[in-house]
Amino acid sequence: MRHTLVLRGTPTLRIDARSIVPAALCALGREEVLRLPLPHGRENVPLGEWFEVSSQAGDDASPWLRLEGDLARFDGLGTGMAAGILEVQGSVGDSVGLAMAGGTLRVDGSAGVLAGAALRGGWLEIAGDVGDFAAGCLPGESEGMRGGTLCVHGRAGDRLADRMRRGTVVVHGDTGDFLGSRMVAGTVALGGRCGAHPGWAMRRGSLVFADGAPPPPSTFVPVHSQAEVIWQLLARDLARFGGRFAELPRRPLTRWVGDLAVQGKGEWLVPG
Amino acid sequence: MRINGVAIDDSFAEAFPMKATRIVITAHERTWALHAATSATGLATSVIACGCEAGIERELAPGETPDGRPGVAILLFAVSGKELAKQVERRVGQCVMTCPTTAVFAGLLEGEPVPLGRNLRFFGDGWQGSKVIQGVRYWRVPVMDGEFVAQESTPVIKGVGGGNLLLLARDTDAALAGASAAVQAMRAVPGVIMPFPGGVVRSGSKVGSRYAAVVASTNDAFCPSLIGLSPRSELDEDVRCVLEIVIDGLAEADVAAAMRAGIAAVVARGAAAGITRISAGNYGGKLGPFHFRLHALAAQGEAP
Repeated sequence: MRHTLVLRGTPTLRIDARSIVPAALCALGREEVLRLPLPHGRENVPLGEWFEVSSQAGDDASPWLRLEGDLARFDGLGTGMAAGILEVQGSVGDSVGLAMAGGTLRVDGSAGVLAGAALRGGWLEIAGDVGDFAAGCLPGESEGMRGGTLCVHGRAGDRLADRMRRGTVVVHGDTGDFLGSRMVAGTVALGGRCGAHPGWAMRRGSLVFADGAPPPPSTFVPVHSQAEVIWQLLARDLARFGGRFAELPRRPLTRWVGDLAVQGKGEWLVPG
Repeated sequence: MRINGVAIDDSFAEAFPMKATRIVITAHERTWALHAATSATGLATSVIACGCEAGIERELAPGETPDGRPGVAILLFAVSGKELAKQVERRVGQCVMTCPTTAVFAGLLEGEPVPLGRNLRFFGDGWQGSKVIQGVRYWRVPVMDGEFVAQESTPVIKGVGGGNLLLLARDTDAALAGASAAVQAMRAVPGVIMPFPGGVVRSGSKVGSRYAAVVASTNDAFCPSLIGLSPRSELDEDVRCVLEIVIDGLAEADVAAAMRAGIAAVVARGAAAGITRISAGNYGGKLGPFHFRLHALAAQGEAP
């Protein structure tokens, strides 16, 4: 069953929307979807209180769900999503795609903090901006994003990819402070400028600065030897994101490694 | 069957299942990719004593390789997946990783993976790192010219080994020229290698020997020096030289296509060029599941 949920009005309080995932809703009929309880403050409110629901019978190969409206007070959309397509026409709240493992989640607007936190797989794309700690980790966890792809067309906040372990993060705009801090591995590609302290305490992983990097701190050292093979493999993969990344394979590379204060096997890839 | 005066025996080549993989070697310049590929496929003519059969499949233009550099595709075949894994690791480690500027990638998309760079990474002594791109892991091992990049693993599939053609000629010059022409035509077929020197073998073998310790021995039925001596001789006195082309392929259809191309190249030269007969080696059809009948592969025939 295909459902389209159109928001009627902005909720007074924040709504825990973790149960809104395509696989779960597509298994339900329209009436069941309308009765689905959504935590709103201290009480559960039926989904039908907030959304107009239109449903179509279909035999889609993968679950499909569409949300429309300003969902900035809806947190945790697509949490744990493992398959299917979730499209949001509007902005979303915090923790969108939390611990997502597969499928595709596209947001036409912006997202709050912790977008794609603990992401394990799948494709999460935000047309607008994301808040702090995107692709980061859940409180108390030692590793952040562990796989999949997070693509942000706008700006990202502070601590992007904090403790990131695996996967690819692409931000077309600027980022805040502490980009890739405490990174364990993975790739973060930045199309704009970043704030203070990028790569702070990164152990491994790659930061790609498509629009130029700030002066590296003293705990990073330049590497002048050839790294053309891995650069071509990576640059060709990033080129599919377009924008500042489209020309990466044709640009010469400058490489720095660090942070020597920790393991020192991270790298800054700065195309000329 | 006779085409252009060349007799084609009503026989068949008997081939066997083998484990196979394709590896792509790239380098800063074509020359160095070829050096690595040649070295990695050296001493790999027959599984009888080499551990695997290997050869260069074709050269790759920069636009065909994962890193945009000139490359060479090689194929390796072994009797088991375990042996193939051993050979891949040994040959890539000693012949590709050692060769300046090279990188190595899997050349097949699907199959049972065996390590390519997974264990070679330990050469990095702790300085190695990896990068996962599009779900594929690449190992980066620091070496003296920069870094050696090797894909984590390479898929192994079921291939076909032992397709063959026997070219019977009136003299050595004619046999060499005809065999060379056949090999040249067969090298244009994708998915196959001819693992012997120049693609040609003169010491064709049969299974077993009168000596207990010898697993394979000379194919006396096709030795011109044994005409009138060996009771199994299949040659007449006009034949003075026999050369064999052995073909290993990723699929049965690939081997058949290569044999078809080889036969066509020989018969196009005609019997006047010196190769008067084409035959094939088999074991009566009892050992190998793949039978390539020469008459079915010949493009056209005329009454004998």
